[in-house]
Amino acid sequence: MKNYIKPIIALFTVILTCCTDVIDVDVQTDTLRLVVEASLDWEKGTTGNDQVITLRTSTPFFDTERTNVTGAEVNVTNNATGEVFRFTDQNDGTYTTSTFQPQLFATYTLEIVYNGERYVAEDTMNPVPNITDIYQDTEDGFDDEAIELHIVFTDFEDEGDNYLFKFERPQDLLPTLETGDDEFINGNEVDWWYEIDDDEDEEIKPLLPGDVVNISMHGISRSYFNYMDIVIDQMGGVGIFEATPVDVRGNCINTTNPDNYAHGYFRVTETNRVSYTVE
Amino acid sequence: MTVKLKRHYWRQRLFFCMVLLLMITSTQVVAQSTYTVSGKISDIKNGETLFGASVFLEGTSIGVVTNEYGFYSLTAPEGKYTLLVTFMGYTDIQQEINLTQNQQFNFEISEASTQLDEVEVIADEPERAILRKPEMSVLKMNIETVKQMPVVLGEVDILKSLQMLPGVTNNGEGTGGFHVRGGAGDQNLVLLDEAIIYNTSHMFGFFSVFNADAIKDVKLYKGGIPARYGGRVSSVLDVRQKDGNSKRFTATGGIGIISSRLALEAPLFKEKGSFLIAGRRSYADLLLKAAGEDNSVSFYDLNLKTNYKINTNNRLFLSGYFGRDAFELGENFSSSYGNSTANLRWNHIFNDKLFSNLSAIYSKYDYELGITSAEFDWVSSITNYNLKYDLKYYFSDTFKLDFGASGIHYEFDPGEIIPTTETSSVNPLILDKKKALETGLYVNAEHKLTEKLTAQYGLRYSAFSRLGGQPITEYANNQPVVYNEDLGIYERGEAIGETVYEKGDAIKTFGNLEPRASLAYTLNDNSSLKAGFSRVAQYIHLLSNTSSATPLDVWTPSGQYIDPQLSNQYALGYFRNFKNTAYSMEAEIYYKNTDNRIDYIDGSDLIGQNTIETEILKGESRAYGLELLFRKNEGKFTGWISYTLSKSEQRTPGGNAGGLGINDGNWYNTPYDRTHDVSISGSYRLNDKWSFGTNLVFQTGRPVTYPNGQYEYEGVSIASYSDRNSDRLPAYHRLDLSVNYKPNRKPNAKLKGEWVLGIYNAYNRKNAASVSFGQNIETGANEATRTAIFGIVPSITYNFKF
Repeated sequence: MKNYIKPIIALFTVILTCCTDVIDVDVQTDTLRLVVEASLDWEKGTTGNDQVITLRTSTPFFDTERTNVTGAEVNVTNNATGEVFRFTDQNDGTYTTSTFQPQLFATYTLEIVYNGERYVAEDTMNPVPNITDIYQDTEDGFDDEAIELHIVFTDFEDEGDNYLFKFERPQDLLPTLETGDDEFINGNEVDWWYEIDDDEDEEIKPLLPGDVVNISMHGISRSYFNYMDIVIDQMGGVGIFEATPVDVRGNCINTTNPDNYAHGYFRVTETNRVSYTVE
Repeated sequence: MTVKLKRHYWRQRLFFCMVLLLMITSTQVVAQSTYTVSGKISDIKNGETLFGASVFLEGTSIGVVTNEYGFYSLTAPEGKYTLLVTFMGYTDIQQEINLTQNQQFNFEISEASTQLDEVEVIADEPERAILRKPEMSVLKMNIETVKQMPVVLGEVDILKSLQMLPGVTNNGEGTGGFHVRGGAGDQNLVLLDEAIIYNTSHMFGFFSVFNADAIKDVKLYKGGIPARYGGRVSSVLDVRQKDGNSKRFTATGGIGIISSRLALEAPLFKEKGSFLIAGRRSYADLLLKAAGEDNSVSFYDLNLKTNYKINTNNRLFLSGYFGRDAFELGENFSSSYGNSTANLRWNHIFNDKLFSNLSAIYSKYDYELGITSAEFDWVSSITNYNLKYDLKYYFSDTFKLDFGASGIHYEFDPGEIIPTTETSSVNPLILDKKKALETGLYVNAEHKLTEKLTAQYGLRYSAFSRLGGQPITEYANNQPVVYNEDLGIYERGEAIGETVYEKGDAIKTFGNLEPRASLAYTLNDNSSLKAGFSRVAQYIHLLSNTSSATPLDVWTPSGQYIDPQLSNQYALGYFRNFKNTAYSMEAEIYYKNTDNRIDYIDGSDLIGQNTIETEILKGESRAYGLELLFRKNEGKFTGWISYTLSKSEQRTPGGNAGGLGINDGNWYNTPYDRTHDVSISGSYRLNDKWSFGTNLVFQTGRPVTYPNGQYEYEGVSIASYSDRNSDRLPAYHRLDLSVNYKPNRKPNAKLKGEWVLGIYNAYNRKNAASVSFGQNIETGANEATRTAIFGIVPSITYNFKF
């Protein structure tokens, strides 16, 4: 529902954005924090053994450099079985394992020791329904001339399913992320559409024949949904009619020094991955 | 429990009656024979009754100003007097009276300038400092002044003009509503002919819903709110429509860039009545459609008023407003919203000392959204029925009493989803409808204590019952919001069940005593000191976590989880006229605090939210400031300089939810905080043909939240944000210019035309309505993007009257 109404608010803003320009602004600088990108996604039809966790630090807002974190200790534990998966430092900010055992509905704990401080996070692996159809059309979406992709799936019967979609077109620098839940569509066959609006200012082209779109669809926990929902809302910047931006908190707790919390998230999900070539 | 509540209630009623009795008896001092003269003051040209005209007995300090219906009544000892009627901009009238019995005198006065609708060289009475009345913190605007001010796109706008005065701001261009003394938009009670207007904006705030051609007068109470008003803690904007010309048929209209308007007025029933009908419509949508564009934005509104004089003592008024905004994007999205109101009033004069008015009022605001591609409609609304009875008793020349009662029945429909096809993947949904009853009883005295000291004191008792007919969710540990110690965030509480309240039950009842008082001490003929205190309760709240209100924001009543907002305001003022009222100066300081002001937890989600209590925390707000206004009231050049220095803050502790609260429980700026606000407005009348107007505005930037860092996640740079409202937009300033030209016309020509040329934001300042932060799509680098709504905007309007 919200997913439909939010664009409307964005559209109010579109009408107003007759005159936007890029300006120099002084911003405050927070202490630099550990950033955790620990996304253990179990792609359907694979073993899910190979997993990567990336650690970086945050940077001042206008800096363009990225700083990798090396020398951390990274482990993931299956809470029920007590099985521990060690992630090896690749000295480039990534930590990898090839022995991860994914299990639906299992809860996992991430533990990171970095700079003498210990961070922990927990998440539960949620299932994702199969994609039953992908097709293209122009009828729907904001622009009835632009091509949009449709992903069809049937929401699980029980209420409380949450989804994350990621759409990537290789020629674009940034992916599109969307969240969904079944609050208003529980148990229904869902047709989820994705469209790129023509934007002459930013030189973004709508979907055109020949374009490849890589799609991933994750079954996610409610708390991760809440996190991503805010992250996505604030991603492109926050306009006048959108909620005042907030500092979104992930699930990585610093148990040594709680004020020095980490950014990012530890998620475990079941995932569909597909590619679609626009005709 | 119920018994206790009732006893409490009766005790308050009793107290209320005692106060009333005390006030009446305390003034019965002299038994000398006195007589009363009463009547109505109206404009000779169109029969419109005049609000705020002075009627006094020359050589005495006995005087009164007319009420909203032009009625006056004054009482004096037996004797011969000269009665003087004055209203600035009008010719004075004198009448010799021999007061040996009660008498009635109705006066029709004529405008000082012989030609109609010429620029007023002299400001109207209300625009000078009013010294003797304890009334303070009040802004009155003459509709003619409003019409002369330069405005964006030539659309005359009462709300924008009020923002040129001290203590009134908006939240940036293109945003709706207004803010008074650091208060939120929903803390303003906006009345159009007594009916509540829930959304004052057209086109998301570019324009206001008030069509100046249909408006008689505008009064904004920034504080010292009289006891007859209640329900909003920040201000009362009382807008009254014209009654309609009772002398002859007139048509007024204008053709502008954005909209055109036409108002027709005429007498009815052999001058026993009259009517006004005014319409306004924008036409951007027609042009867009003609240009083959799918997207369109439009608004229109319709004002109606008619009155009928049954006899000297009884008069009926019927007024209505209907306005709507519509907006379409392609074929897939359509949205529309608007206010509708109706009011039937009965003025009854019991005798020459007792005036009464009974009103039955209906008011509704609704919002609709249709999404064809997703096959559903979304609708929400708020409706109220209001019955009120107000009386004014002109007891003696030193004592006047206002009293009355009102009851408002609210129906809140926060939202419904209606699938428009059978195959729609969206399920139907109805958010819980809510009902409530707000009642008020008041009494207010205007009491001249000595020759120099006048007091106004009163009491309002308000009660609010949230009515049943809906379930209320219950939460574990009675915590709709819970602080998560580990993550340091506020989360929604765990629902453990619900209680269903039957239709006859009250879910929750509140009652509040609201004392109001002010004093005026006349220092000399030209200056006075005033002080005021007011306590006001507010029972309904507009839910909005965006920096500017949007048309889809919904109102919600107080109840189980939301307490009424309670505010106390203290103000002190110094008022002075110079050079026999050619210049005037007003200075006020105020302090106000509001309890139970809610704010939204990080990541709150208000759209389609059935359990609002899981998204909010209860806090308090405070605002204080200094306001200065210096006016030049006479001469070829008239105008004012206004300056406000102020602070508006909020504190929201965790309370029952645990934790320190929003922003660690520290005070933070509200979005309405403006440290400095300077407005200069001037008009210069060269001759009968040409006149010029200008506005100059400077304001501290609006508090906003900017990023304080970034991190990469999912291939995207994510911003981390600093404390709530701890940054500011760049300062806002602009200059507007206008020229009015009245072409030569024959003295007897019926049609009178006028051209208005305007330039808004003359030096093309790009004032930031918002600054948003994101990644450049090509380079990936973070950047700050400013949205400026209006650059330099020239406009031309043609106004006519016949």
